[in-house]
Amino acid sequence: MRNIIFCLFGLLCSVLLSGCQQTADQGPVYKIGYMNCNSEQETRLRFAPLTRYLSEKVGVRFEMVPVDTQDFEDRFKKEEFAFTHTNSLLYLILRQDHDLQLVATEKRGQFGARTAGTIISRKDSGIRTLADLKGKRMIFGPQLAPSGYLAQYDLMLKAGIDPEMDLSYYAIPHGSFKHEKLIYAVYFGAYDVAAAPALDLEVMTREGKISADDFQIVAQSPIFPYCTFGAAKGVDPDLMKRFREALVLLTPEDTVDYNGEQVKVLKSAWVDGFEQLLDSDYDILRGMAKRANMPPYQEF
Amino acid sequence: MNRLLQDRFDRWHVLVLLLTTLGAAALLLTAGGGGDAAARSELNRQLEQDVAYRARIDFLQDLYRPVLDLEKSGARQQALLKLEEIGRRYPGEGYGFIIKGRILLQLDAVEEAVANYVEGVRLNGDFADRQGAFSAWNEIDQLVSKQLPSFSERARTHPDNASLKRVLNNLHYLQSRLAGGCE
Repeated sequence: MRNIIFCLFGLLCSVLLSGCQQTADQGPVYKIGYMNCNSEQETRLRFAPLTRYLSEKVGVRFEMVPVDTQDFEDRFKKEEFAFTHTNSLLYLILRQDHDLQLVATEKRGQFGARTAGTIISRKDSGIRTLADLKGKRMIFGPQLAPSGYLAQYDLMLKAGIDPEMDLSYYAIPHGSFKHEKLIYAVYFGAYDVAAAPALDLEVMTREGKISADDFQIVAQSPIFPYCTFGAAKGVDPDLMKRFREALVLLTPEDTVDYNGEQVKVLKSAWVDGFEQLLDSDYDILRGMAKRANMPPYQEF
Repeated sequence: MNRLLQDRFDRWHVLVLLLTTLGAAALLLTAGGGGDAAARSELNRQLEQDVAYRARIDFLQDLYRPVLDLEKSGARQQALLKLEEIGRRYPGEGYGFIIKGRILLQLDAVEEAVANYVEGVRLNGDFADRQGAFSAWNEIDQLVSKQLPSFSERARTHPDNASLKRVLNNLHYLQSRLAGGCE
């Protein structure tokens, strides 16, 4: 009889304890704001499996919110995102203005959790040094792109070239796939030089879209952190820790059930993995933003 | 003798006799030299291995020459792109990882440089040998000597940082391979 009572008591305890545990189907919903690289549709395709994976691993409900780069800061405030996934310049802005906390940095390409900006010309253009840029037509990436605008702007300023004064003309392409567009713009001769992210050159070379022999790399910036996950100031430290662990421990083999299929989480997100960098690793980018008079240090 | 060979029948017999004698001699030689044949076969195998090794060295030097030329001229990013192109055709070649590790180190991408050296050594242990056409012992030794104290210190001050732990594990792996340790 005593054994039966013990068993029933044990069963009751386990039922009560399981009731206390928060599952992914219950509890509050935490928003993750994802910066759109090309389009909302692409962002959803890339990051929906990762969001589902995070919900399962962390044990809370996450909702993905695709956001345009220019709108990010406003929507971060208005919609109370708990977590953010943005480029590293936007991370600096949100850190400076809203005390965003560093969670993890995305790894992609040859520099891992870091990236670089390059200035390219056609191999046969005769443009080989930064001094050759004077009077040339240049095409940049979007203004808040650290490896497609800021890094190159800073490279030119450091070499004594003022992009606003010393180029004959400069432009930024419209629509999505801006980085690919500007590489092709140089390849087909529409512009003399372009501000190309090193990652896009690498990916396009790997995919056979361009050849390493087609271009001259006129200059390249130092490396700095790539896209970044951040957590809002008020997020529970334990939740942030579990969120980070789930990211850093992700391997290329990890899958998640998504729309009835087992999907590889990293492959789907076009990511090689995540690293835990230190905020001081971003100082190099802070220096670039200050020299180029860019947000969050812009002065009028 | 001349008279003997004038007759067609005799000439036929002499020819048959000669062929039989030569055949028997050949049989005796091969039957009596079983051990020699095995030794010759072993020598041939060794020769084939040496030729293949030599051909591999020449082939890899030719294949990666454009990358090494770009690296020498300071066009490091261009060298990395060239490596990407070669990697599409030969993704599992360890020499490419060793070169990539070296270039990434020059570009201050230390963590990725270490990871590439590890990948190269895992694919081919020859890179961690002191001798050999593709020995990278010296450069790996310099990398480990310089980076191990710094990453050990950083990992000590940030004990919860999984990324620092991963780099430290990679450096320890290289250190063990340099000392002659196995996988």
